[in-house]
Amino acid sequence: MGNPVQSFTGGDFELAGNSERAQMDHTYTSQSYGRDAFLRFKANKGAVFGLVIIIIISFFAAFGPMMNEHTYKSINIKHKSLPPRIEGLENFFIFNGVANGVNAYEQKGLTDVYYIFGTDTLGRDLWTRTWEGTRISLYIAVIAVAVDMIIGMCYGLVSGYFGRSVDNVMQRFIEILSGIPNLVIVTLLIVVLKPGFVTVTLALMITGWIGMSRVARAQILKLKEQEFVLASRTLGAGHFRIIFKDILPNIFGQIIIMSMFSVPSAIFTEAFLAFIGLGIPQPMASLGSLISESFKSMTIYPYMIVAPVFVLALLMLSFNLLADGLRDALDPKMKES
Amino acid sequence: MKKVKIAIALFSVLLLLAGCTSAKQGSGTTPASTESPSAPTASAAPEESPAAAKVLNLGKDVELASMDSAIATDGLSFEVIAATTEGLYTIDENRVPQLALAEKVDLSEDGLRYTFTLRDAKWSNGTPVTAKDFEFAWKRLVNPETASEYSFIAGVAGLKNADAIIAGEKSFDELGVKAVDDKTLTVELECPIPFFNSVIAFPSFFPVNEAFLKEKGTEYALTPEALLANGPFKLKTWEVGGTTFYLEKNNDYYDAGSVKLDGLNYKIIKDTQQSVLAYENGDIDYVALSGEQIASYQQSPEYHSVLTGFLWYLSPNQKVPGLENINLRKAISLAYDKTAVVDEILKDGSIVADFVVPQFLATGPDGKDYRETAGSYPSNNKEEALKYWEKAKAELGIDAIELELLFEDTESATLVSQFIQSEIETALPGVTFTLKSQPKKNRVELMYNGEYEVGLTRWGPDYNDPMTYLAMWTTDNPNNFGKWSEKAYDELADRVSRGDLASKPEERWEALKQLEAKVLEQAVIFPVYQKGNAILIKPEVTGVNLGSIGGSISYKLADKQ
Amino acid sequence: MRNYVLKRLGLAVVTLLVILLALFLMLELMPGSPFNDEKITQAQRAVLDAKYGLDQPVFNRFVHYIKAMLSGDFGVSYVIQKNMPISAMLEARLPVSIQIGFQAVLLGTAIGLLLGIVAALKHNSFADSLTTFISVIGVSFPSYVFALALSYFLGWKLKWFPLLYSSAAPFVSTVLPTIALSMFTIATVARFTRSEMIEVLSSEYIRLSESKGVGSARLIIVHALRNALIPIITVLAPLVVALMIGSLVIEQIFAIPGIGSLLVTAIQINDYNVIIAVSFLYSIMFIAIMLAVDILYGVIDPRIRLAKGEKHG
Repeated sequence: MGNPVQSFTGGDFELAGNSERAQMDHTYTSQSYGRDAFLRFKANKGAVFGLVIIIIISFFAAFGPMMNEHTYKSINIKHKSLPPRIEGLENFFIFNGVANGVNAYEQKGLTDVYYIFGTDTLGRDLWTRTWEGTRISLYIAVIAVAVDMIIGMCYGLVSGYFGRSVDNVMQRFIEILSGIPNLVIVTLLIVVLKPGFVTVTLALMITGWIGMSRVARAQILKLKEQEFVLASRTLGAGHFRIIFKDILPNIFGQIIIMSMFSVPSAIFTEAFLAFIGLGIPQPMASLGSLISESFKSMTIYPYMIVAPVFVLALLMLSFNLLADGLRDALDPKMKES
Repeated sequence: MKKVKIAIALFSVLLLLAGCTSAKQGSGTTPASTESPSAPTASAAPEESPAAAKVLNLGKDVELASMDSAIATDGLSFEVIAATTEGLYTIDENRVPQLALAEKVDLSEDGLRYTFTLRDAKWSNGTPVTAKDFEFAWKRLVNPETASEYSFIAGVAGLKNADAIIAGEKSFDELGVKAVDDKTLTVELECPIPFFNSVIAFPSFFPVNEAFLKEKGTEYALTPEALLANGPFKLKTWEVGGTTFYLEKNNDYYDAGSVKLDGLNYKIIKDTQQSVLAYENGDIDYVALSGEQIASYQQSPEYHSVLTGFLWYLSPNQKVPGLENINLRKAISLAYDKTAVVDEILKDGSIVADFVVPQFLATGPDGKDYRETAGSYPSNNKEEALKYWEKAKAELGIDAIELELLFEDTESATLVSQFIQSEIETALPGVTFTLKSQPKKNRVELMYNGEYEVGLTRWGPDYNDPMTYLAMWTTDNPNNFGKWSEKAYDELADRVSRGDLASKPEERWEALKQLEAKVLEQAVIFPVYQKGNAILIKPEVTGVNLGSIGGSISYKLADKQ
Repeated sequence: MRNYVLKRLGLAVVTLLVILLALFLMLELMPGSPFNDEKITQAQRAVLDAKYGLDQPVFNRFVHYIKAMLSGDFGVSYVIQKNMPISAMLEARLPVSIQIGFQAVLLGTAIGLLLGIVAALKHNSFADSLTTFISVIGVSFPSYVFALALSYFLGWKLKWFPLLYSSAAPFVSTVLPTIALSMFTIATVARFTRSEMIEVLSSEYIRLSESKGVGSARLIIVHALRNALIPIITVLAPLVVALMIGSLVIEQIFAIPGIGSLLVTAIQINDYNVIIAVSFLYSIMFIAIMLAVDILYGVIDPRIRLAKGEKHG
């Protein structure tokens, strides 16, 4: 066939890389699961970045509203609709107080007035309101995630694991609950109860967990007939142990990701409620309600929507990165890759 | 393998989507005044002669709710009904009722019997408009089977037996209206009504052809084919649930000669920012502005503002402990800056209201507007307010009071309420307001049932007379939400509307001023503003009667260059 | 399988009836009445309630409604389009909502899958970061901000697409709303595809097929994607229903005569029959899609045989 007298020189060879294909057997020093997870988390730059941003935002949410003399509801109608301006940064293009080519500060004769994020159409300080809103949005997000995880996960796991009539009954209930548009249930609840924190949170809880329960159920359906479950059962493990000790750690990644997605959806549901007048009561603010409020004049005062949208997007990004990091850290299977 | 097919299908659809986009781009950008292939009611499109036709494109933010004059309740429905149908009177731009379908009117000595002679006019199916059409329409209005939400207006007009019929005590056949012959209509009243002409210019009193209605049955007024017109325009297309409807010129109209437009094309765009973009794009010639949009157009020559008859006010519930105290009420009524509300928040041409009876609502026997001769009342005085609050604190034995402010969830109501809350809390230390926002229907329901503390509400006039407002604070009036009550007020109000003063215009006018003074002195309500509407109209459009208090917008004489 | 489907269909009918009853009971709790203007007197309201049968007890109304519904009569609208049969309103609006929803689902799923697969294959690359970025942006901005930005730049500044919906150009005029609506789907699908694919690609059976020399395209599509699909479908299904039933905000901004804005308006003004009809429509679509998903599970993953439940275990 080929030329039999082909000869090779040293330069014809190169070391086959094993970085992509081959599997290395790592030797781990024995350490606790928690410490192991922590180390893996720390190595993930994105996750650490996300955590840091969340801490920074939480800091501002806690203390930002106290950083100037304005409160979230103090109205100064003479200072309405001012664009951002920061003392010392007047020449910096976005903080010079100029919008649409007009310096609203000079126009109103307010030479020594500064608003970092500007003011809204009632002359309220957007800095204070943005952080106040962040605080409320975080509160909503935390509750939503907590409720999603606890109720949704348990419901989905139990339903999927037991199957048959248990699954049937539980899924019918979900079908009925989710077959009614959320909006109808939520509106009704809010209209019947007094609008406020508790009502909005309750409204989000009523249907928020359904998505999570679906993911948990789908996952358990996939896993429950696998060998390790069979093994565990053969060894005499009870249902509780199989569900929460054997299966749960395997699907934790999905659950965490789903939780992180329920953060924006909870915040948006609240914003939507605010949009139709049923959200957090005015003059209180949430990021969502700030966005829908400033949306109404977005083509005229675009700067009003910038701060809340930016904080919201940053918060979402951080939650996502954090979720990824947690997933890698907590999921034992990910050790290999 | 199946998955591959699905994936391929997905991507080919995607490509297809992209392909169509570039191909069809051109046709889509033409202003669309159109018919839908699926809509059962669509007939010929208005663009038959797009270049030559003078069509006015109007942007509106609500759907056309009803074309049935007995069923309609909202502004747009009345506007379109008034564009297609005419009644005995129309209101001109100086707010004076002018004879329309009636050619001549005679009033009996005692003021209780009107005799109208009708002019020659035709419905769009060729049948003449007769006095029977009026008799039928008016009786239909009060017929319980019709279940008209506006039947009360027959009582307002003072039609004989109207109130008894609505209360279910008499048959609707006994209403005081009768067609003597095809051209003559007689109307009997319970008592003389000084503003009768302006009330019956209202669309609820427009004629309806009985034979046509019976023929269409339950379909009546639901499609363009199930509608008749006798006015300047007729409904040509109306998609069920569609975003456009089209009125074309009615050539059977008796005054068709003065109608210059070929048609009116309505587009429903609910988002104001989007409708302003559409206006800038030239898709529509008329758009209503709201909120912050107004500020950026105020200097434009295309900007107009029209003062309406709507009065927005705060109603304190007298049953709430604390609010029965007149000094507290007065303190609140003086504590907020109304000028800032109209100049900084609304900016739509609304005016400060320190009064109950709006400006340009009613003209007195002296030929002057009511407000010109009526008293003026204090507006906003924070020191004075504080004094009243100190007095109230002493009388009530309290240091602080917490009240709830109920308002509807519209943008302007929300902003105004927040501003008022902040103003009052700053001016009166110790008074705190919590805000409660509700959809409008719920807000009305809560106030109706007295389940509120202070409510931001509004009232629009039903007829051009101060009593359309002042009757509200009589003890038994269902709209007396705050349940304020005073015997002397009730008695005087009764004399003004049904009693001896009804036939003595000058004395009646003075009595009306006394009633208003009472309401304000007692701080029964805290007026905030009289609403204005801000709109943009393209400069090439002329002759639109933008409507005035008590009369709706009219396009009869409009033209487009 | 056939018995299973029939059984599920029977159950679906029962579920729908329960939902309908629940809707009636819930509306009973709702404060206010459709006839609730400032101007209406108590006597008039009684007349109106009598005319539309609202003075009847809930249960009578429920039975009456079901009887009428079986003959295609969903009642009339009280407020939005007075006395208009609701079946006519739905007939006109539903196709529009479904068209736009369908377009958004197609676009969103296609782009989402593509992004997710690429990101998973090139784990930790630029494409991966881009996908993360897009999926974060997609869930971080409310769709109305996208919608307004799209219509401002593409519609108004560049004049590429019409600003408003028009039934004469049902495709071109729905391009902007479709893009705005699909952002959330793109983000969600990309995200889940990525994480599922990464997990599946690192599993033994993929490595096995790989070592057996299965071609990479075939490997990805036949072996990996198929297994990654279950959670994706689980997340996508409710989203599809939500998109089909229309989005209030998008409909409002682009002047689309769809179902979403109808429901919200109806709730705000107590137009009972409209609330019930639209909610019920939603329920039907929802249950149908969930049923389809359950059947799909079995098709995609032979290990899941719902009907037989634990028989294997």
